[in-house]
Amino acid sequence: MVLRGPVRTAARRFAEVVCPPGVRAGDRTDRVLGELELMLGALQPTARTAVAAVFVLIDQAARLHPRARGRRLGRLDDEAADAYLRALLARPGTAAQLAGRLKSLVVMCYYELPEARREIGYDPDPYITAVSRRRLDRYSADIRATEAGVAAPDPWQDRR
Amino acid sequence: MSPLPGLVGQADVGGDIVVDCGAVIVGSGAGGATMAAELSEAGVDVIVIEEGGYHPTESFGTNSCRALRTLYRDGGGGMAVGRPSVLFAEGRCVGGSTVVNGGMSWRTPARVLARWAAGGVTAISEPDMEPYFARAEGRHSVGLQDPGTVGRDSELFRGGAEAKGWTVLPNRRNQLHCAGTNNCTNGCPTGAKRSMLVTSVPRALSLGARLFADCRVDRVTRSGAAVTGVTGHFIRQGGRAGPRMTVRARAVIVAGGAVQTPALLARSGLRSASGTLGRNLSLHPNATVIAFFDEDVTGWQGVHQAFQVREFTPEGLLLTATNLTPPMLAGIMPGHGRELGELMADYNRVVTAGPLVSDSGTGRVRNVPGLGAQVFYRLTDSDAARVVRGVELTGQALFAAGARRLLLPFDGTPEARGPGELRRLLSRPVPKRSIQLYSIHLMGTARMNDDPRRGVTDSFGEFHGVPGLFVADASLFPGPTGINPMETVIALAMRNARQLVERRSRYAI
Ligand SMILES: Cc1cc2nc3c(=O)[nH]c(=O)nc-3n(C[C@H](O)[C@H](O)[C@H](O)COP(=O)(O)OP(=O)(O)OC[C@H]3O[C@@H](n4cnc5c(N)ncnc54)[C@H](O)[C@@H]3O)c2cc1C
Repeated sequence: MVLRGPVRTAARRFAEVVCPPGVRAGDRTDRVLGELELMLGALQPTARTAVAAVFVLIDQAARLHPRARGRRLGRLDDEAADAYLRALLARPGTAAQLAGRLKSLVVMCYYELPEARREIGYDPDPYITAVSRRRLDRYSADIRATEAGVAAPDPWQDRR
Repeated sequence: MSPLPGLVGQADVGGDIVVDCGAVIVGSGAGGATMAAELSEAGVDVIVIEEGGYHPTESFGTNSCRALRTLYRDGGGGMAVGRPSVLFAEGRCVGGSTVVNGGMSWRTPARVLARWAAGGVTAISEPDMEPYFARAEGRHSVGLQDPGTVGRDSELFRGGAEAKGWTVLPNRRNQLHCAGTNNCTNGCPTGAKRSMLVTSVPRALSLGARLFADCRVDRVTRSGAAVTGVTGHFIRQGGRAGPRMTVRARAVIVAGGAVQTPALLARSGLRSASGTLGRNLSLHPNATVIAFFDEDVTGWQGVHQAFQVREFTPEGLLLTATNLTPPMLAGIMPGHGRELGELMADYNRVVTAGPLVSDSGTGRVRNVPGLGAQVFYRLTDSDAARVVRGVELTGQALFAAGARRLLLPFDGTPEARGPGELRRLLSRPVPKRSIQLYSIHLMGTARMNDDPRRGVTDSFGEFHGVPGLFVADASLFPGPTGINPMETVIALAMRNARQLVERRSRYAI
């Protein structure tokens, strides 16, 4: 799914506000949106449409927030945008729930970026390579024997 | 070209397909793949239809979002609607949820089997089930972790629980020298986790079964009371509907998991006189406590989950610590923007742990035309109270292990900076709707019972009143297991396959 027009604008501003400030470095926001598009592609069509609508709704509903003075989220400065989303997320009810789910989805996409992972000290690939090699070094005979037995006959011996 | 003999994916299919077989199995997860292997071994001509794609071990990496898109249904974002709603995840790929699960492999507790027997299921006592558990464990290399594969997060949690004097068990897991890569939920990158993808699926195929992946079954077909097969369609890249699939079969085995199975049966026009099809959903609600330590924990180095606190199982509570990848942790962290960044900066000093509640089964799956399976769930007051108690116990263990502060899974609750504060915070009523819950154990929506007025299937999974139609997945459970359910699904599928083979002449398979 490709985010276009007002939905993309709304999603972009939402991502800038909910993700850590590092999202603004380089092309990270675009890449978060790219990851988000892929995630939306995995949803059912009705859910995709609903997500797009919620982005636009959140953008427009900012107009009702006292500090927004009638402006939508995309037009708010960082402080006002942050205050609006804080208020929205803290309000009990469905609106907060929907906004919360979108926030989860977007920040998940952010923490998939390799540099965001590195910045928090998560670098699993060399570790996985090392422990996988150790596994093969230590247990290869047993592993080979088990793999070879996957299709071995195993009929029930007794009759009930 | 498919890398496994007998495997056909959407890319291999140009036009509509019609095939004949003895038994068609819907779903290749714990129940479906086991059935396929057992029936194929007995010489039954088997076709398996799997909605998800084939993703081999070599394709698994550490990108969680990619895994959610390719290996899970709806990107892992299922929701059981209620107050509170419960997020849930199901696998959708060749091998089903076993490809993405944590690999905990436990027998159904004897007290649970006794309850099921008392409720109207025959041949389900512990001695009855023993040969199937043994076979399941042999087939899937169930055992304890090798030394040196347990992470610091697990050790801290174990230490905290033991300091409280609680019983802690090392996990039994379906693993062949698991290296502790902590990548279970993205697919095991070494093949050490003995999921269906590397055990019963290749076994069934090598014994002659055929598997159609990327193919969704839309309906079970019937002629009068007898089943005649299934119809469905292939799913093209990007989700477009592809060619149609028709399977003519003398037995139909539905193993789509506890959400999809009742929805498929309902949209096929099947009704249960018991009125329980789609009802009775249990989902073992889980809640997560996020604990911050002063020391470097680096929980992603070591097995996904190594221990279970069993002290409170009589109360229906199991406590565990499980490491989450950064996207998964960020997804449940409170706060946004700078605040979220500051919390996540401590990623390597975090331990995530929480309770799993053996719930009272008050959910429901409905098939809504155009939308598919929709799930509804009502958390009972007593289950909610147990979640809160489980969170408090988890927090006590984490503080005993040296945690400095805890984030609790209740909206609007401040962080707890010590055991006293935790107790104070949780001594006030916690509004039910503020509890953040998720589930990975869905069960019970086509429960077995020999009495057609009380169950959807008989004790061996045959749909009451529809000869030749079987259910073979977690839907069959009469109630929650209170522990990880996969081995129960596998053992029941082995038992029910054996029964089916012994009666094969009835179905001409
Ligand atoms: C993230 C995660 C972690 C877990 N951890 C553990 C654990 O550590 N230990 C444990 O015991 N359990 C665990 N579980 C639960 C366990 O994996 C399941 O209980 C078990 O796999 C259920 O087996 P099943 O056969 O009912 O369904 P599944 O294994 O989910 O298989 C169902 C399959 O049917 C397919 N399907 C559904 N509908 C259709 C259709 N209409 N047409 C074609 N195909 C269809 C699906 O795509 C899926 O592949 C976990 C689950 C998850 C999601």
